[in-house]
Amino acid sequence: MPQQPFAPTRASQKMTLNITTETLTSHVSLFLEGEVDTTSAPQLLQTLTEIGLAELAELRIHAMSLTFMSSAGLRALVYAKQKMPHSSRLIFVGGSADIQEVITRTGLGNAVMLVETVDDIP
Amino acid sequence: MIERIDGLPTNIINGYKVRPGKPLPFGVSHVPNGLNFSAYTSAGTGCTLVLFSRGVLEPFAEIEFPKSYRIGDVFCMIVFDLDYEDLEYGYRIDGPFQPEAGHRFNKECILMDPYTKLVSGRDVWGEEPDWNAQIYHYRSRVSFDDFDWEDDSPLEFPPEDLLIYEAHVRGFTKSASAKVAHPGTYAGLAEKIPYLKRLGINAIELMPIFEFDEFENSRIHPETGEKLYNYWGYSTLGFFAPKAAYAATGRHGMQVDELKQLVKNLHSNGIEVILDVVFNHTAEGNENGPTLSFKGLDNKTYYMLTPEGYYFNFSGTGNTLNCNNPIVRSLVLDCLRYWASEYHIDGFRFDLASILGRDPLGYPLSNPPLLESLAFDPILSACKLIAEAWDAGGLYQVGSFPAFGRWSEWNGKYRDCLRKFLKGDAAQVGELAQRVQGSPDLYQSSGRTPATSINFITCHDGFTLADLTSFNEKHNSSNGEDNRDGGNDNHSWNCGAEGWTDNAGILALRQKQMMNAFALLLTSRGVPMFVMGDEFGRSQQGNNNAYCLDSSLSWVDWLQLKANHQLFDFVTSLIAFRKSHPCLRVNKFDTTITTIGLPSSSFHGTSAWSPDWSQESRQLAWMFCLDGIGTGNSDVDLVYVIANMAPSTSWFSCPELPNGLRWCVAFNTGDPAGPVLKHEATVDKHGLLVGERSVIIMTA
Repeated sequence: MPQQPFAPTRASQKMTLNITTETLTSHVSLFLEGEVDTTSAPQLLQTLTEIGLAELAELRIHAMSLTFMSSAGLRALVYAKQKMPHSSRLIFVGGSADIQEVITRTGLGNAVMLVETVDDIP
Repeated sequence: MIERIDGLPTNIINGYKVRPGKPLPFGVSHVPNGLNFSAYTSAGTGCTLVLFSRGVLEPFAEIEFPKSYRIGDVFCMIVFDLDYEDLEYGYRIDGPFQPEAGHRFNKECILMDPYTKLVSGRDVWGEEPDWNAQIYHYRSRVSFDDFDWEDDSPLEFPPEDLLIYEAHVRGFTKSASAKVAHPGTYAGLAEKIPYLKRLGINAIELMPIFEFDEFENSRIHPETGEKLYNYWGYSTLGFFAPKAAYAATGRHGMQVDELKQLVKNLHSNGIEVILDVVFNHTAEGNENGPTLSFKGLDNKTYYMLTPEGYYFNFSGTGNTLNCNNPIVRSLVLDCLRYWASEYHIDGFRFDLASILGRDPLGYPLSNPPLLESLAFDPILSACKLIAEAWDAGGLYQVGSFPAFGRWSEWNGKYRDCLRKFLKGDAAQVGELAQRVQGSPDLYQSSGRTPATSINFITCHDGFTLADLTSFNEKHNSSNGEDNRDGGNDNHSWNCGAEGWTDNAGILALRQKQMMNAFALLLTSRGVPMFVMGDEFGRSQQGNNNAYCLDSSLSWVDWLQLKANHQLFDFVTSLIAFRKSHPCLRVNKFDTTITTIGLPSSSFHGTSAWSPDWSQESRQLAWMFCLDGIGTGNSDVDLVYVIANMAPSTSWFSCPELPNGLRWCVAFNTGDPAGPVLKHEATVDKHGLLVGERSVIIMTA
């Protein structure tokens, strides 16, 4: 039985997630860069907690620079929507076709509005 | 919140922080800062946890359970700091290889956790693995069980109100004609919910969705070169895991959420979900089959074995699960409880259910503990339990299945009688009278009700309805078995030509026969069921055993919906009619006289009140009556069905009705203008003509 891991895997690579927050009067935007998985999802959850979801009317998650989002990451979105007021909007901007497909097909899309660009936000 | 004092490691093994685990729950579960692994083996002498990164051939760690990490026969260990989204795991069990004693331990095999809720390694249908390089094919994973159901819960429709639609997840939308974004998947099926609502069914019974291997026994057709698969899936690998390759998101490992979303969508549209479950055998086959899980964990416990250590084969597939062993009984209970509570499943149909009533040596039990446990389980108390009440070992229990007052049965006698009557066989009217009432001859004496009887004329086994009226013989050459497979007693009739024809008269008769079948099925007391596509005449070109065909021959061709809209409209109208007439859904065997002086059920012939029970009779009429007094509805619900399967038109007089009531024709399969009467025609009080091979349905 080898003592060392074999070829580098996602589990053995250090994943990074950079989050930039922009707060405007009408909404809060989170710009995500990198990957959201079990190791970085707590960081996203912490940021979501800190922006005061309970009084937020609109939250925009900008995913244009997001290369991967796992099940843990998607659940952070659901968590966010559950903490926001009932009439609030959680908008997911951009993101790869894979990410959007998973959001839609698994029902996690019930919590978010998917748009391609900021101009598509109604 | 205070940190738990048992949430920290106590040891380090091979560089991994561990702690003695908890035996329950079995399988893998989340605990603070780690994962708890629990595996049962009564005769294994050692257990090693094998850990992989997702998709990587070789493991990154193997952690042997210390001897002290065992409670009873359960090895249990907590491992800390694992990336559970990326993790795949399995077990090596050490022990004797003594087949004659029932032991087949092999430490070289990496075994799938029988309690795994998620399986990877087969994420995309038909994507063939590297059989030589792969050392661990069906990989256990850790699932999220935190789906947001919101207000969803099982629908709990009264069983007598069910209209069951049997469907194959992949075959239902795989054809390009389905025009869905994700063909052949749970998501694809969800896109067809508007269609199911339009049809009017309120329960969908899904053919096996527990993880199975479509490559099991796969082969190339010797003549056509076509790849043949384990398409139907009656060979379970993972009892707690949904098939990944049925999910559009399977390659992302999101099949759990996708299936739950499908169930949630179906429920919100008033459709129950029943799963076809296969506990009679597993995918490990017999002594020549692979060691994937149970064989290597505890062969002697999980399988019915002969005294010499060979596998009993009451399933016809190689092995038989030892269902009345207490350990296996617990696994079956745990499994069904899991699906009922975590997936909100409304019911289960048990394949070859008679096996569940056999003891470890295969003898039928009079009071099988497993069946009793399932019938009285508190979590399953609202679930429909449906038995295919026979097995491949000769046990046939339709009417005698150990029901404990709860189980329903696929009524094979209904199927056979209706098929024979429809094709005009002699000596059927006596039995027909029993079947259309919900089969009191089978169920009344044991205190059961008409809803015990799942009435069906077609299902996945056998001809589709279109083929039942188009073929006298089976045509299974596509299966590569020289047409030796599939049943021979189909009670089918081709209406004058075998298979394809352009004879207008034959085609018209076939159409009418299909309408006759639906007319009788949907006006019978009991629970009606039919198979996907029958409502617009789906054909498998005469193949009555399409278990291995992943092709257009077994997929639903949605172009037929437009081509045969007349049949579809007829079926949807009949379904709506059934829903609006509670006398068709009475759930007791009752011949009391109603307040208007008519019995709740009665039989007639060409003369009212005078059925012809002779052997040569091909005609029967029946009246169902439900007194509205006490139900908030002052009207009496009356339905009169006339079935004339004789090759000639006959005059039928109808029972006289009191209180100024008049009979009105709602459906007439023999009406050349169309079977659904837009404006119900009032019948002359003396009676009416009923065409040859026709069914008329009337109300008052």
